[in-house]
Amino acid sequence: MANYLAQFQTIKSTCAHLVIAVEDVSDLWPTVKNSFEEQLPFKRASLNNKTRNPVFVENLPAEFILTTDARLRSRFPQEQYLFWFREPYATLVLVTCEDLDEFKTILKPRLKLIVQNDEREWFIVFVSRAHPSNDNATKMAKKVYAKLEVEFSSKKRERCCKFDVHGPEANFWEDLEARIMECVRNTLDRRLQFYEEEIRKLSEQRFMPIWNFCNFFILKESLAFMFEMAHLHEDALREYDELELCYLETVNIGSKRREFGGLDHGDDQAALLLPGNKPLTQIVQDDSFREFEFRQYLFAYQSKLLFKLNRPFEVASRGYSFIISFSKALGLHESILPFCMREVWVITACLAVVNATNSQYNEGNAPPEIEREFYRLQGDLYSLCRAKFLRLAYLIGYGTEIERSAVNSALLSMLPWPKPAVWPLVPDNAASEMILQESPRVKPFGIERKPLALEPTALIREANRRRASLSAGSSSEMLDSKQSFGDGSATDVSSKTSPSSKAQAISMPRTYSSAGNFEGSIDRPMKLAEIFVAAEHALKQTISNPDMQKALSSIQDIEQKYMDLTKGAADNYHRSWWKRHGVVLDGEIAAVCFKRGNFDLAAKSYEKVCALYAGEGWQDLLAEVLPNLAECQRILNDQAGYLSSCVRLLSLDKGLFSIKERQAFQSEVVSLAHSEMKHPVPLDVSSLISFSGNPGAPLELCDGDPGTLSVAVWSGFPDDITLDSLSLTLTATFNADEGGKLRSSSSNVLKPGRNTITFPLPPQKPGSYVLGVLTGHIGQLTFRSHSFSKAGPTDSDDFMSYEKTTRPILKVSKPRPLVDLSAAISSALLINETQWIGIIAQPIDYSLKGAVLHIDTGPGLKIEESHSIEMETYRSVDHSSTDTANSGGARKDDNKGLEQLSLLDGKIEFPDWASDMTSILWIPIRAIDDKLSRGSSSGPPRKQSIVDRMRTIALKLEFGISNNQIYDKTIALHFTDPFHVSTRVADQYNDGTLLLQVTLHSQVKATLTVNDAWLDLQDGFIHAGQSDGRPVSAFLPLEISPNSRAGLLFSVCLGKGTAEDEIKLQLESILNIRYGIAGVRTIGAHPPAVAKSNDTESTSHDLIFRSALILQRPVLDPCLAVGFLPLPSNGLLRVGQLVTLKWRVERLKDIEETKVPQNNDEVLYEVNANSDNWMIAGRKRGHVSLSTKQGSRIFISVLCMPLFAGYVHPPHLGLPDIDEANISCNPAGPHLVCILPPDLSSSFCPVVAESNSNKSQSHCHLFQSFLARRRDLLKETPHAPLIVIGRPSQLRSSPNAYQRLEDLDMHFLEKKATAVA
Amino acid sequence: MTSTACFIIASRNDIPIYEAEVGSAAKREDAAQLHQFILHAALDIVQDLAWTTSAMFLKAIDRFNDLVVTTRSRNRNKGKAPTIKVDFLTNPPVTQSLTLEHGIKSFFQEVHELYIKILLNPLYLPGSRITSSHFDTKVRALARKYL
Repeated sequence: MANYLAQFQTIKSTCAHLVIAVEDVSDLWPTVKNSFEEQLPFKRASLNNKTRNPVFVENLPAEFILTTDARLRSRFPQEQYLFWFREPYATLVLVTCEDLDEFKTILKPRLKLIVQNDEREWFIVFVSRAHPSNDNATKMAKKVYAKLEVEFSSKKRERCCKFDVHGPEANFWEDLEARIMECVRNTLDRRLQFYEEEIRKLSEQRFMPIWNFCNFFILKESLAFMFEMAHLHEDALREYDELELCYLETVNIGSKRREFGGLDHGDDQAALLLPGNKPLTQIVQDDSFREFEFRQYLFAYQSKLLFKLNRPFEVASRGYSFIISFSKALGLHESILPFCMREVWVITACLAVVNATNSQYNEGNAPPEIEREFYRLQGDLYSLCRAKFLRLAYLIGYGTEIERSAVNSALLSMLPWPKPAVWPLVPDNAASEMILQESPRVKPFGIERKPLALEPTALIREANRRRASLSAGSSSEMLDSKQSFGDGSATDVSSKTSPSSKAQAISMPRTYSSAGNFEGSIDRPMKLAEIFVAAEHALKQTISNPDMQKALSSIQDIEQKYMDLTKGAADNYHRSWWKRHGVVLDGEIAAVCFKRGNFDLAAKSYEKVCALYAGEGWQDLLAEVLPNLAECQRILNDQAGYLSSCVRLLSLDKGLFSIKERQAFQSEVVSLAHSEMKHPVPLDVSSLISFSGNPGAPLELCDGDPGTLSVAVWSGFPDDITLDSLSLTLTATFNADEGGKLRSSSSNVLKPGRNTITFPLPPQKPGSYVLGVLTGHIGQLTFRSHSFSKAGPTDSDDFMSYEKTTRPILKVSKPRPLVDLSAAISSALLINETQWIGIIAQPIDYSLKGAVLHIDTGPGLKIEESHSIEMETYRSVDHSSTDTANSGGARKDDNKGLEQLSLLDGKIEFPDWASDMTSILWIPIRAIDDKLSRGSSSGPPRKQSIVDRMRTIALKLEFGISNNQIYDKTIALHFTDPFHVSTRVADQYNDGTLLLQVTLHSQVKATLTVNDAWLDLQDGFIHAGQSDGRPVSAFLPLEISPNSRAGLLFSVCLGKGTAEDEIKLQLESILNIRYGIAGVRTIGAHPPAVAKSNDTESTSHDLIFRSALILQRPVLDPCLAVGFLPLPSNGLLRVGQLVTLKWRVERLKDIEETKVPQNNDEVLYEVNANSDNWMIAGRKRGHVSLSTKQGSRIFISVLCMPLFAGYVHPPHLGLPDIDEANISCNPAGPHLVCILPPDLSSSFCPVVAESNSNKSQSHCHLFQSFLARRRDLLKETPHAPLIVIGRPSQLRSSPNAYQRLEDLDMHFLEKKATAVA
Repeated sequence: MTSTACFIIASRNDIPIYEAEVGSAAKREDAAQLHQFILHAALDIVQDLAWTTSAMFLKAIDRFNDLVVTTRSRNRNKGKAPTIKVDFLTNPPVTQSLTLEHGIKSFFQEVHELYIKILLNPLYLPGSRITSSHFDTKVRALARKYL
């Protein structure tokens, strides 16, 4: 059957569609052909797939072929089965007939004959040629068609349809398509069954010797092809998958040594996407196929189907794994394949897959996950391709051009060398080829880093081992032979000896000094340069693709290709969100850019890489890339970037660079800082210079105090570094805007490691502060550091994601009283005397060292300069016990006695001993008051106005570290006289002698001793009896304890004469008291301070107190007396009853002419009475004559009538002309008289008064009913109407109103009217 | 059998907080960086893979020539991103790879317990470098035991 392979291929290539056979019974096809073929491809078909599930296929292509066609006729039945897929899927019988007889006799038997072949799926199309206008013909056609249907259609299946040439029915084409589809479906099912049966039969033989894979393949692929024709791509794909599995099984199990293939020219170009690359007949081998070609063939078909299914993603993913596995297979057969065939194939395969899938892939169609995955695969493919390309480039001697980065090393150093059976030899004509190698690149900053390996093992050894002529000798043999080379390449093997020699070996010079030397000796191991040349030539033979050859021809081309691949990989990785892969490849792009001198791009890419590594904290990797970035920045003259790169380099783990390298970084920074920088740039050195406050409690300061803050600064520089300035900001925790800036005074030298730097701290606002930013200058470079670490320069990046614990470094407490000044005395001091005022200076947890007290006395107060100021420790009574108890050591200080201080310009400096303890300052002052104190007349002592005798003293205490704290206080001091004097006339004699009692109230809290007292009397008074006016001296001295009183009696009499002579009238009497005082200054008033010279006499020194008293002459007697005479004998006054009131006016003494201006004896009188209560008859006002002689009297009587019952004031007699002071009244004040209500017998109604007084409405009603009752009783008897007197408003309203309704037999009389009457 | 193995614990933000070369083979000088590079790149895969499975042990996720990256990610329940990733790089001989995978799994489990102990230390700031020498010795002992 394998012989059919070629035929199978041709058949496959010729038929691409389903075939529908047309049995043209009545020669109709030419007429209907066009209209039939117009219907192709079929719009919509429902087919069954392999698992018998319906599948809808759209636009199914097909072809109508006449059965008489040569294509269908010339077939052997054998072939028919094998290539059944090309046989017609349906047979369409075209008939026409216009006559029933004809149908019966001719057509029917003929059709029966055609139809009897069961194998075919057939159906009949009856073509009616009858013109619609021709009714007869139409009818006939209908009849014939009906007959036909009866004959051929069954209930199960319609096998007929009618086609009208002159206008087919509307649904004819749909019918036709349905019929055809039914046939196709059935045929497919049947053939599928057949193929499956065949395949199953063959599969059973799989492990038998007669098993032939080619046969299996033909069957399987036929089936697949059939599916493909029917557009059932899924099923076709499945067939191919199964085929692949089966093939791999065959390959793996088959014990027979098979040819692998891949030896033809052009095989190095992957054909994994080219289905028809090689005819199958070429690759058949025995009963199977060559692996190399056949696997590609299978994959090509699979990918073709996948593309048809629009699944480029799957092509890529299958392609990737296919390439990997195929590469392995290539590796197994590497010895028979051309040199580096594997690498070349992978490169081409990857590129082919990438290009094909990329062109098929429409972005945005797939779900995002798939899209990402697709790009990742693309990236993987590119990356794989790139690795292989690098390997080739290395092999032909461009190893030095390859960046020895981690990614390249990882890719290459574990990738084994190609293992050809025999390493290629240098062709003779290539001996003169030479490529001059540049020296290896030197890393910036002179970093000596062992370069990463790009080779799994030393190439020279590997190559020489595989040389046919050289027996695969032991390594020792190799080493021996190496010694003779004397060239740099010789050390290649001994690479492990030292990094420097290794570095040398890397250079791999393709130059060789002795060109003609090696040709002759075939046994001699090849030099590295020779290996490269040999490899290049071998590769040229391997590679058939000119593009590929060109790509490897020169360093520029290699670089270009390398860039393309790297960019492709990087872009795709970025699109797939594999940022790490992508960014790493960006770094490779940067390396190439750097080499090409495109530093701008290089720097950008390097920055990306560095950002990634730094962001994720992979320092080892960062250390590899960062120097390159720095170098780029240096070349670009990007000072800011360069500096920050240097700083970052310095801040990497110390182990990553040697000390020398780190020093180089630092010197770069320093030299740049001191050079001329056009634009001084701020530099963030947070990772390098970190700082923290000292551990422990934060520095606590009082508000307004300066201080010093010491901060630990860690320097990550390897050497000492001089900072020209250093300042630190403090950030207030309460408000981010607040904060101060501290400046370190001098330039600092930071040692590596911890340094302690002290900052002077100006006064800060209250609150707690944390460290902010450290800034400083190195030369012209401004740097700043944001980070502060807890214990040392730890990796700041690690902590970034966590909340920094900000520990306050400084606490400035809220303004609080730091000191208290208060007066030590609680009670008043003596005025006008030198008094000590005590001022208690009490420090409150604050030192008063160096404090200065400014004293400013207010008006009326004067410091006695003659006395010095005294200071002593203050011992409060209630605190003294505890003080001594708990401060044993301080007791010595407590006993500090008086210290004399002097006042300079109103300032006192505190002594040192007073800095921490409460002290008291005694200041001698004198309050001055010119006013004489005044005594008051009898009664309790009036409160003296406090303000009058108050003085203030303003104190200002400057203290604190630099006298920055100021405490102001104004202390009020009360001064007072020792006594308050009140006087009283104790008694008065007829002879004008007065006994004057003087009461002394002690005003101070001190014992006063009255030694002497005398009165200087004012004019008009003279001392009675003795002339000196002193009280009885036997009682003196008189002691007066605090707040007590004492009295002195003086007898004074009215006198005159002496005073009138003197010019100066003394209006006040002066009380002089000579007294002594015994008080303590801590309490209040005390003996006045005296100058030191008088110290001894101070006790005997008496003080004089003077107080003014005003004595008044006694007042004159009244000259008239008015007496209210008693009422008439019965003493009863009744309302309405006239009564005569009498007053007696008597002249008590002569009226002096001066006092009473009118000399006549007429006296004006006036009677005043309440008109509501009294009705006065007669004159109210008038003159009566009264003799001016003493004792003359007259009576004044007035007739009046009380109007109101009760106690009322009687009328009052006044004398308007005479001053009230001269009238003595009897009774003195107003008095009341009792007025009785009128008699019951009278017609007055008592209720009237009552109702009048009470103003009660209920009484009014009572009153009215009362009146009504009276009217009824008096009905028979004649009588006068009752007169009702009342206030109009209350009464008239109701009785009057009532009277309108009912006669009450009364007259209402208003009360006022009675008065008028 | 000589093997090289590199073990790295990466924190939530992909920052390596612990690394150890625990292989029995003589250490290549450039290996540390290389291994770091490979493991770093493997984080790309972890980031994708961690969302697809609920298992903590992600098995061999990447193969870099002879080196196999095995990863275990932690704490990815409740839809949170993994807080810790453990990358492991080994080059197992093909025949023993299965047993080795079991070994790695147990190794991961035990190291995870150790890590939790570290995490419980109040003085340890989560996400910072693990500098405990005790942890280091324990990890190395575990590596000898299982690998």
